[in-house]
Amino acid sequence: MATTRQSKQTKAESTENTQTQSDSSSSVSANEALRAPAERKYADELAYLASIDTGPRPFSWRLSPKMVRIFVLGSTPADKIERPISQKFFGDTTLVERAIVTLASDRGLLLIGDPGTGKSWLAELLAAGLCGDSTLVVQGTAGTTEDQIKYSWNVSMVIAKGQSTESIIPSPIMIAMQKGLHGRIEELTRCTSDVQDALISILSEKYVNIPELKTDNVVFARPGFNIIATANSRDRGVNELSTALKRRFNFVTIPTVTNKKSEKEIVLFRTTELLARNSISVDVPPALLDILLQTFADLRDASNAATNEEQKIESSLSTAEQIGVLEDAILHSRFFGDSTLKGEILAGSLIGGLVRKIPEDVTVLNKFWHTVVEKRVSDSDWKGFVEGGKIALGKFK
Amino acid sequence: MSSLDHIRQQLHDAAAAFATDAKPLAELLELMLDDVGRALVEPLLIFPVCHHSPASALHMAQRLRQAPPKIIFMEGCEDMMSVLPQLRECRLPIALQAFALDSNSFPVKWMPLNCILPLTEFSAEFQVIAYCMTHPETELYFVDRSTDHVFQWMPQDENELEDKLAAPGEDDSGDDESPQTKNAPGGSALVLQVGATRPSFADFEHFLLRNARVRSFQEWWEQYVEAAVLGADFATYREVMLLVGSLLRRLGRATADVDSDRRREQYMWTRIKEKLAEKKIAPRDAMWVCGAIHGVSDVEEFGTHSDKVWSIPAKSDTRWQYGLIPASYASIERQFGHPAGTISLAESTWAKSMKALNIKPFRLEKSGPEKKPAKNESAKAAIADADETDEKEESNVPIIQPGVKTGDEILESFFSKPPVLIQQDEEQLLRWCVDLVNLARKNGYLSSTADAIAVYHTSKLLAGLRNRLHPTANDFTDAAITCVEKDRVPGKRDVTKLCQIILGGDRTGVVGYGSLPKLAQDIYDRLKPLGLKLTQQVERALIDYKKHPELLPCSDLLWMLHFLLGDIARPVMGQRKLGEVPIQESWDLSIGRNQRAIIELAYEGVILEHVIEKRLRASVNEPNATAVTALAACENSLLYLKSERLTEDLGNRALSLVELDPTAHDAPEVFTRVRRLVAYYRSTKTGLPKWIKNFVVTGYTHYTSVLPEAFSDRGTKPEQVAGMLAFVFTLESLALSLGCSRSQLVIAIGQASSRTDDPTKQGLLWAAEWLLGLRAVEQIRASLDSALANPLMLPAFPGYISGFLLALGFTPLVARIVVELISKAFERLPEEVLVPWLPSLMLLLRAHGADLFPLVLKEVGNTFPKGLTELKAWQAPWEQLEEPSESSEATDTDSEQGESTSENNGEAIIVSPIGQLLRQQRTAPSAIAAHLGETGAWVEPVATLPAQGEKAEVKAKVVKNSGATEPLLLLQKYPTAMNEIAKLID
Repeated sequence: MATTRQSKQTKAESTENTQTQSDSSSSVSANEALRAPAERKYADELAYLASIDTGPRPFSWRLSPKMVRIFVLGSTPADKIERPISQKFFGDTTLVERAIVTLASDRGLLLIGDPGTGKSWLAELLAAGLCGDSTLVVQGTAGTTEDQIKYSWNVSMVIAKGQSTESIIPSPIMIAMQKGLHGRIEELTRCTSDVQDALISILSEKYVNIPELKTDNVVFARPGFNIIATANSRDRGVNELSTALKRRFNFVTIPTVTNKKSEKEIVLFRTTELLARNSISVDVPPALLDILLQTFADLRDASNAATNEEQKIESSLSTAEQIGVLEDAILHSRFFGDSTLKGEILAGSLIGGLVRKIPEDVTVLNKFWHTVVEKRVSDSDWKGFVEGGKIALGKFK
Repeated sequence: MSSLDHIRQQLHDAAAAFATDAKPLAELLELMLDDVGRALVEPLLIFPVCHHSPASALHMAQRLRQAPPKIIFMEGCEDMMSVLPQLRECRLPIALQAFALDSNSFPVKWMPLNCILPLTEFSAEFQVIAYCMTHPETELYFVDRSTDHVFQWMPQDENELEDKLAAPGEDDSGDDESPQTKNAPGGSALVLQVGATRPSFADFEHFLLRNARVRSFQEWWEQYVEAAVLGADFATYREVMLLVGSLLRRLGRATADVDSDRRREQYMWTRIKEKLAEKKIAPRDAMWVCGAIHGVSDVEEFGTHSDKVWSIPAKSDTRWQYGLIPASYASIERQFGHPAGTISLAESTWAKSMKALNIKPFRLEKSGPEKKPAKNESAKAAIADADETDEKEESNVPIIQPGVKTGDEILESFFSKPPVLIQQDEEQLLRWCVDLVNLARKNGYLSSTADAIAVYHTSKLLAGLRNRLHPTANDFTDAAITCVEKDRVPGKRDVTKLCQIILGGDRTGVVGYGSLPKLAQDIYDRLKPLGLKLTQQVERALIDYKKHPELLPCSDLLWMLHFLLGDIARPVMGQRKLGEVPIQESWDLSIGRNQRAIIELAYEGVILEHVIEKRLRASVNEPNATAVTALAACENSLLYLKSERLTEDLGNRALSLVELDPTAHDAPEVFTRVRRLVAYYRSTKTGLPKWIKNFVVTGYTHYTSVLPEAFSDRGTKPEQVAGMLAFVFTLESLALSLGCSRSQLVIAIGQASSRTDDPTKQGLLWAAEWLLGLRAVEQIRASLDSALANPLMLPAFPGYISGFLLALGFTPLVARIVVELISKAFERLPEEVLVPWLPSLMLLLRAHGADLFPLVLKEVGNTFPKGLTELKAWQAPWEQLEEPSESSEATDTDSEQGESTSENNGEAIIVSPIGQLLRQQRTAPSAIAAHLGETGAWVEPVATLPAQGEKAEVKAKVVKNSGATEPLLLLQKYPTAMNEIAKLID
């Protein structure tokens, strides 16, 4: 099985897309899985939407574009459907619409944006909504080879039976082609240029040649096949996409969330979802959530105002980081505290989550804490938070 | 009312179906229908409109043709009516403007009061205006509150207006399409609109947009109202507009806005009733054009059936002036907070719909050069041509099915049917796609026909996803961004910007010559000899005054424009300085796109000269005016107005201001300005005028009297003291000739000498004392040498140098000392003093370098050897002098000091180096003496002392005991020569 399973080192654990095996012989059932893919998690919603869907469906799509939009963005009264569908991606409506429409066209979709903006999550939701399978993923790394995009050989079988259709191990992309599904490529820009070039022919000719076979040596893509790729805009220039490949992708830029209201929704939504795995119900006092958001907003301001790298902390301060901090704090208070989230614990998680380099990050945060956060201590809600942060910072030796 | 029963039931059912608690919703819907019903039964035709809405404009054009009323009342400040006739000469978009330079009735911070009302061609209000101006049988009245009331009804708080102006102003500063953004029409004006129809209650708007899945209210309006009513019949149009108006009024407006809306409605109904009574016109012959929100008003004054009127508050005593200024689509969008491109889009909808529905809009007869439509408006041009063919064909114009429908049918069909697809839409979309790809390629994108296909395809898919029959411009824009925009923008413009250009781009209106105020017309007239097209965006003028001296007045005018409006007239070559006569000049003129600035100048005066004079006079009478501002005003008056009378007035004001300034901090600036003026006047035939003579005298006495204080005051910088000294020394001869006395200065400097502890000022003081003969150069040198020898005083040494450097500003003679000091500093100062001082030396030289450097360099050239070979034998002049002086008993032999010091010295005859030379080579002088007929003995000197360097200078030899100089002695001894000379003189 050639599906790559590298975890995304650069991302916080909270937003990781755990990849599951794409074949149906998975030994772990969906209910037992640590993290079920979107199509299993929201199977009910998908089934319901399919049942009421009367709109035209392009190719072999499971849902019409309008229903996919409802699946991703949640339903509104204007949609006139009986069962409310929850919002799963918080962002510009237009952006999601553009993404859906791109997949109905001849071009692939490339979601591009800063780390932690939810690119992979959107890609997963789209794949789940469109074809009911979001697990056909290739993780792009510097070590990704052309085999992982096309196919590889089961060596023992080749020795036993020679090169034949049976001894081929198809890549997730090839499986997607064969079944008319959506293949996903994560971190496309981290792949080397020969891997990227292999994609060009797949995207334009829509078939893969297997020159080793004498007969039956072309795998054609069935209608409905397309590729959803993601790329990190911070890695720009690592492996610059060729113009030819760019032409075959429509770019949809996912912006960093700066709207506090949306960010709050996202943080709560994701944290609730993540903690549901531990069967923990989330009860975050609104004041503490505001404190967390405000501190991140302040940190971003400070980071933007910094004139050199030494004044910045390593963290990208994305929404995903906030989710990580909140999750950590809730778990901490649940297992080591009295189950109620307190400012002190939140501050400890925040400091613990953001300090990556010692002593550089500690120095920056120490200054930030005593100049910016300290000022807010007059507000009683902030008191515990401010003190907790100082204690946490003091523990770094 | 009964006609709405059916729809009423439908809405009830809908409320029951969708709301968890149907009652409040049903009540709301009931009330909304009541609102609509009330407006429909009113005999006076209420015509609800939305600002810059093509649908409103098209329906208006049709309605006016179909059933022209006798009188039309329109929302819009009633006092702005007066400028309407001037619209004939203009190319839209244009804004009506009310302007007041000052007023006692409003907070001072609000001045000048500036209020504008922009008009576009595709607005119902312009259609009404155009119709009434071409059909005099229909009268038009603006009935809304006057501009004065607009300001009266705002909270009279200093910052109130600023808050209101700031909100729409902040926008696309990076907009490369309109570099005039800063001066954009309506930049700092309070903007009003006819038919404002949008929610002001943020939560409502948010809810509406979220549920409709649109990004802005404009998009919502376009999709759910505009597109629907565009092709509908008039009755449907009216009912839908009123219904939406009622919805917004009941749910979407903030409380403060509802109050203000009510007040305006009371005002409008009162005026309507007054006019109807005055003109004796029945309500059914009248039409009221208002925003949809006002059409469903609930004020008591509403309706012609009630006699209730409102007592309108009186206006303030503010003097308002009115005019027309050009507006632009971009500025209108900014002012009303619309997303960029909205107005351009409305224009393209208007053009497309007119073509599709074959409706002819009302236009004003144009005259003058502005009437030709711009190149990129081919579609509109075609329409315009068609329009100009004949207005009489009106009767043949097909009118959208008015039909006789009952109310329920109308609204029902509106709710159940999508808007009609117009054939032109398809063509338009294809054209957009192709144009976009072409334009993108020109802007660096690697786009091809494949992209055009992809954009077309994606637009269609997006429209399908968004429940639209046909892609709108928004769908097209989104599709274009999706398909063409990659990870970076290759050129200056991104795809969003390109789409805006494709959709029509920005347009700026032009006010025609005939509608311009007198001042602006005067400018156009006076620039006519240049033969330029002043309507163009930027025009380059190259003028050779030698060949065409008749163009000199144009130069004056251009400089005046440059003075008043900055870069609107930008000199590329040429300058205006006192006394300079222009030979050739080159100008960039952007009058065409900055008409507004010129029009607003007209509120200040009748001709440019008048405006400048007013401004100059105002500048010198401001409470914070200083002598510098007054002198600047004098200079400007000479430069631009060449008016002696005004200059004298301003100069006299400068005179009084300089005396009032106790600190004299701006002395350096005053000095440079006065010196420039004096130099200029000396070159004129009339010579120095009285005011400048008085100024020099006053300045001399004033600065002299504040000098001691300035030396001791730590708040006064050395540069400022240097400025005072410069004034005093440089203009001294003039001041003395006008009756001042040097003794005043001598006393003042004497006073100052004991009061300063700043080394820089000390340096300045020594230089001044040396100039006045109060201190010898040897004393200065001795003091400085002692400073160098004393480790405690070392840090002060650089300060002395700075002082002398500053002194160069008023006397080049100290250059020698400066060179000596700097050389010594670099030679002897320890590094810990020298290195920290270098940056401040550089800063000083940078600030004053232009004046000081030539002097210092010249002196350096004289002092140091010119070649390497001379270096070996070279000795610094001050070192040469120091050695003999050590053996000398005398302390001071400076040439100027010679006579006075000689009286105190014993019997010494002091000989200059030339004297020494003559003594060594006695043959030649003896021969000359013999030739003169004299033979005598040489008087031997007792000792020699160095004089102060300059070889050409003949040094006096002093004989102490007789009290007379050597030449005198010689003459006494040999009287023959003298007698001969005396005879000649006689």
